[in-house]
Amino acid sequence: MISLSYYIACAVVLYIIGMYCLASKRNMIKLVMGLEIMVNAAHVSFIAFSAYISPGYIDPLGHSVVIMSISFAGCVTALALVIVTYAYKHYKTLDVRKLRRLKW
Amino acid sequence: MFTPPLDTLLVFMIGTPAIGWVIHKKGYPKVQGIYASAGLLVAAYFLYGLSREVSEKGIVLITGPPPFNPPLGACLQIDVFSVFMTMVYIIIGLFTTVYSIKFMERDSGLTEYYTLMLGMVAGMTGVVFAGDFFTLFVFWELMCLTSYALVAFRKQKWESIEAGFKYLIMSAAGSATILLAMSFLYGMTGTLNFAALADRLANTSSEGWLYITLALVIVGFGIKAAIVPFHTWLPDAHSAAPSPVSAMLSGVMVPTGACVLIRILLLVFSSAQPAWQMTLAIFAVFTMFGGNLMALLQNDLKRLLAFSTIAHMGYIVFGFAIASPEGLAASLFHIVNHAVMKSLLFLCAGAFIRQTKTRDLRKLKGIGKTMPMTSAAFTIGTIAIAAFPPLNGFWSEMMIITAGVRAEMIIFSALMLTNVALSVVYYFRLIRIIILEKPTKVSKKATKAPVLMLIPILVLAFLCVFIGVYPVPYIDASSKAAEAMLNIGAYIDVVLRGL
Amino acid sequence: MEINLIRLAGLTTVILAILIFWMLIVEYDFPAFKYVDPDQPPELVENDTSIIGQRVSRFLWNYRVIDLIAQAFVLFAAAACCMALLRVEERKR
Repeated sequence: MISLSYYIACAVVLYIIGMYCLASKRNMIKLVMGLEIMVNAAHVSFIAFSAYISPGYIDPLGHSVVIMSISFAGCVTALALVIVTYAYKHYKTLDVRKLRRLKW
Repeated sequence: MFTPPLDTLLVFMIGTPAIGWVIHKKGYPKVQGIYASAGLLVAAYFLYGLSREVSEKGIVLITGPPPFNPPLGACLQIDVFSVFMTMVYIIIGLFTTVYSIKFMERDSGLTEYYTLMLGMVAGMTGVVFAGDFFTLFVFWELMCLTSYALVAFRKQKWESIEAGFKYLIMSAAGSATILLAMSFLYGMTGTLNFAALADRLANTSSEGWLYITLALVIVGFGIKAAIVPFHTWLPDAHSAAPSPVSAMLSGVMVPTGACVLIRILLLVFSSAQPAWQMTLAIFAVFTMFGGNLMALLQNDLKRLLAFSTIAHMGYIVFGFAIASPEGLAASLFHIVNHAVMKSLLFLCAGAFIRQTKTRDLRKLKGIGKTMPMTSAAFTIGTIAIAAFPPLNGFWSEMMIITAGVRAEMIIFSALMLTNVALSVVYYFRLIRIIILEKPTKVSKKATKAPVLMLIPILVLAFLCVFIGVYPVPYIDASSKAAEAMLNIGAYIDVVLRGL
Repeated sequence: MEINLIRLAGLTTVILAILIFWMLIVEYDFPAFKYVDPDQPPELVENDTSIIGQRVSRFLWNYRVIDLIAQAFVLFAAAACCMALLRVEERKR
């Protein structure tokens, strides 16, 4: 089996990619996708730990956390997409840099 | 199910759409608000019963049936600190719900509004009741989801949508960070229960990964608690939300982030205590300065109050960073005082804005002549929050500064004193604008606020004076709550030794 | 494709961060399950894809009942949020 460190490194790399996506993308829907990537980093980490607790066995606690957390991420994405719909209606663009009327 | 107060809030949250559907057919407009307020009153009654039980037993543990108990199972662990914070949430929630019966009457979608308000109070209650990290995360998501929709509630205005989107992205990134930190803690110990984590991680000071997890926890909860590099969502969200929602967000939801942060730091990261104390103290100083300096430049009433919230969160986080019994008690007392004063200010601001349709301070000059009672309450709130002696803000801020001096953090206490003095400048600017200037055209057209909006405002103003004149029972309650927070041995014993 | 200087700097920072973190993580091992309680053995399930789903569901229903009920309320609140934002404004004239 591959050593556990590689899975943790993958989780941290996914988290950094998600943060980069949030910081640099302009399209609002891509920002929502960046959020999903960040949450999935934590999911990968949970499943990796739950598989390495003991050879040949898994720990169901990690899996149950991931099952419930996937549905929360879905709820947040649904709400975010509703807000993006209204933002498109008001600003006529999906570019997040145009949402700058609120300053200082 | 769970405990009676949390059950009541959740059941009333589900009942509100049913009531809304019934009255939609019949046509009585205000029943949903009255139903929601009644729900909060019933929850307050059950909370009183729960507080008697907690003061006898110390800690109340709600868990599944015996083979399936913690540390593997989920649990709710209620101690004096949880009951103390829930009392604040329910009282401020009650006042804002009564206020919004009249304030939001011209908006549509009131059924969903009251459902979401009850959901937010239920989520905050669950967050402080939780005994397991994942239970806390579930209720944290409940609190966050309802607050996203409440900030973006007036969706026909561009401002609410922009502020709501920015808030959602930053806060959901914070939740993802918390989840990653949770996974590392699970990886280190194999459990997610707070008592088991506290027991297992008690002597591990030389573990590098613990410090990485600590950084992730501070960032994740710090985004919600408006600590300075992560505070940029707060001014927009608080000014764009409807005023009762701003009062709830600013008065109780932002301090909840700080409370949960300190709870986790005290329980789980007790071996890294010197590290997080210094980090939190430095962040607190930046937060205080950031909030106060930005508030000096504002011309928008609600944005100024939002920056003032950031500054007060700096004071509260500084009190938590002291981590001694006096520091924690002072911060908890300041959370109570800040909730009362800040919601009073936001509710009065809402009354001004509803009558004049503008938030600009230059146009609101002299509104004290046309709205006398609201302006009197606003003045009392501003004097209280500027820490003047006979009112309640003075006691808690002085307690935090004294606790800092006693714990040898003298530079930080001196910086906090400078900040308190600096904040008096813009609070007095507010009083001068509201009372002493000549009325402009816009403020002359304002009429008095309706009675149902005045009642919560006057009760909160009375509470400011009352707590200020006789603070002793509140200081005692905060001290007991702080002791319960620091009593980690009892917390662990209840779960692991099965008392 | 325009090469914006800030964008290039951002990309370089991220790639450097990924490489550094990868090397650090593989170098310094994660203390996996170092602090497990020796008296509380975890409930384990055999790593066999045909029974994992059923066993994890049973674990969820037995041990994590509080979280499941709270999650039902969260889903209800999410539905209420979407209804609040997708409502139709009645035009009262």
